Amino acid sequence: MNIPMALRLSAFVVFCLNLGARAEPLRIVTTTSDLADIAKRIAGEHGVVQFVCNGNEDPHFLTARPSYTLMARKADLWIRIGMELEVGWEPVILDGARNPRIHVGQPGHLDASLRVHKLDVPHGPISRAMGDIHPSGNPHYWLDPWNVRVVAETIAERLAALRPSNEADFRRNLDCFKRELDERMFGPALVADLGGDVLWDALHKETLDTAIHSSGKSLGGWMAAMASVRGRGLVTYHKNWEYFARRFGLVVMAELEPKPGIPPTAAHLATVAERMKQEGVSFILQDPFYSRKAADRLAGQTGARVLVAASSVGGSPAVGSVFQVFEELVALFTRKN
Amino acid sequence: MQRHIVFCTVFFLGMEFMRPNGIAQPTGAMGGPYGLERSLQAFNPAISVIVDLFYRQDDSEEGIAHVLEGLSGFGHIHGHAHHDHAHGAEKGFNLRHVEIQLSADVDPYFKGSAIVGVDTERAELEVAEIETSHLPWGFKLKGGKFYSDFGYLNAQHSHQWDFIDRPLIFQLVLGEHGLNDKGLQLSWLAPAPFYLLSGVEVFQGNNETAFAYHGEDPLPIYDGPRLGVGWLKFGPDLPGAHGVQIGFSAGVGRHQEAHDGDADGDADHWLDGTHAFWGADAVYKFNAPKPYGQGDITLQAEYLFRRKDLELIDHTLRPELVGNSLVKKQDGYYIQAVYGVLPRWRIGTRFEQVGLKNQDNRPNGEKVRMGASSRAALMLDFTPSEFSRIRLQANQGAYKTEEGKQDVTEVGVQWMVSLGAHGAHKF
Repeated sequence: MNIPMALRLSAFVVFCLNLGARAEPLRIVTTTSDLADIAKRIAGEHGVVQFVCNGNEDPHFLTARPSYTLMARKADLWIRIGMELEVGWEPVILDGARNPRIHVGQPGHLDASLRVHKLDVPHGPISRAMGDIHPSGNPHYWLDPWNVRVVAETIAERLAALRPSNEADFRRNLDCFKRELDERMFGPALVADLGGDVLWDALHKETLDTAIHSSGKSLGGWMAAMASVRGRGLVTYHKNWEYFARRFGLVVMAELEPKPGIPPTAAHLATVAERMKQEGVSFILQDPFYSRKAADRLAGQTGARVLVAASSVGGSPAVGSVFQVFEELVALFTRKN
Repeated sequence: MQRHIVFCTVFFLGMEFMRPNGIAQPTGAMGGPYGLERSLQAFNPAISVIVDLFYRQDDSEEGIAHVLEGLSGFGHIHGHAHHDHAHGAEKGFNLRHVEIQLSADVDPYFKGSAIVGVDTERAELEVAEIETSHLPWGFKLKGGKFYSDFGYLNAQHSHQWDFIDRPLIFQLVLGEHGLNDKGLQLSWLAPAPFYLLSGVEVFQGNNETAFAYHGEDPLPIYDGPRLGVGWLKFGPDLPGAHGVQIGFSAGVGRHQEAHDGDADGDADHWLDGTHAFWGADAVYKFNAPKPYGQGDITLQAEYLFRRKDLELIDHTLRPELVGNSLVKKQDGYYIQAVYGVLPRWRIGTRFEQVGLKNQDNRPNGEKVRMGASSRAALMLDFTPSEFSRIRLQANQGAYKTEEGKQDVTEVGVQWMVSLGAHGAHKF
């Protein structure tokens, strides 16, 4: 072997070693666009994120397509909303992808609902006569900023387990994400003074007012903006706004759907209209993919305002991140007209 | 013998490569007041039951089943694994067998499921399958009694169809149950930038109308497996709400028939040989950004060609023909479209033809070309929830039978519900 050949060979070896040192980004596939947005923020440069169901599609009625199988085949991590939301299509994709890494129970399969705060968990016997009911509770939990925070933590933890060498980066991304969320939720001044954890803790213990008072800084962000509509009545199309409503003190009086997953009927709408008049409901809230007809009719009868907002990232062109989902909602609710 | 060794090798090589990851994972909150009960039930198989009732009428004298049995080129054959007239839909009320389905992960290596079809007279094991969940490199091995994945519609259960009845070509060539048999399937998802799934299947070779192994004297007895099938499914990686899948399939197996030429109740001539088929299928689906299935579109078409090459083994009435051959070449297709016209309401239409190629080269030297039959269908269905569906369907058929041309109008109403576990359906 002559010298130049040996040189070239060793240069090639060094080149390969360099390639090896820069690990391939983790391939992450999420079931929804919201999870994808959070995962992107946490994984940063160490992950490539794809999602199955976009915000303008109804996750209850999705058909498994060959392109989903392609995504799942190479995935290192699969993240789902859970609580039976994807029960009609997730098993087909996971089964078809032949990727043992992301089977349920494997480290590459993450159920994002693991530690979230759940609502509408049925107590007592349940039956399908109650409509499309989810035995684990209402799965639309990403509409509570607290749950977004919890999901980000859950994802960061799993990413660190899968790729320990990047743990510090995941933690930094998580801290950055939580800081931004907390500032948007409570306002930067308060977060700078007390820290997000303290504020959330106070909110859960219903001692937020005391905490704010002791700080001397004023409440900002979504909490401050939504204070103007606190306690107001709300009617929603589908039962998917509970988390948002409860977090910001709105009261969901009724749904336009007589039962989850069953389209509005004239008889049911008449009852809802009656209730809205009696109890003074101010808002009707629905996703853009539902027909506005029923809501507009009710608004005409009762004087309530129809708000059409995306409940997921990509549900309307303006909503490109989980933060924008809340920004848009808050803007709609607090718009003066 | 060699074949058996190959199967065993494939099977055990597969087992060797299954490496489940041993890291314990939290498997979701078992909280709530029913937590304990739920945790005890966690290992129970998922159970679902499909009840499928339909009512039908037609304007033929002896029923549509009789017309189809006499269809030129696809005529009824005696001496099959199943009994005659077992599943022909009657005029009036019909209860398609109630499907009881159980499925669960067996262990980290295998998944299992069983479907028992029960009707008012008997119970029948429709599916009992085991499949691997951990083979590497995109392989999967399935064994048991299962529906072949050839074509598009064959592997679908009757409750997944968009029409009450199976397309004519499949009913005529493979019978009311389609290609469902005992055997093994090895499939492979290719590491390509598009969806490419291929599979090979070996079956015992028992079917209602094809590959039927009679084995009665004077037919020779062949050991199983007597049928091999191969297929390929291709799907481009389309963006957004569009999905496409195109498939090709072929199969060949041993085939035997016993006929009762003088209709005295006893078989009088016997045929032995091979039965081959090949087909192509295409499906397009559009998932509209509207709730309750409104605006969704499904377009679907399949073509199937079959060829039988048989030798007359014995003929008690015309012994001089023994040793001569019978070649049967028949084909057919269907094309259908379903559209979500309103929330929860769909309309659909289907057109099909059989016998575009319809030729028999008979043992007596005759070459007979027979004509084509066609059928058009209109369908309207309502899906109150994901667990129930009501369907109205009308068929208008122009059939070329041994007794001449016959037009038959059929109407049907179907009411089906699914109880228990929420099923997930393939593309």
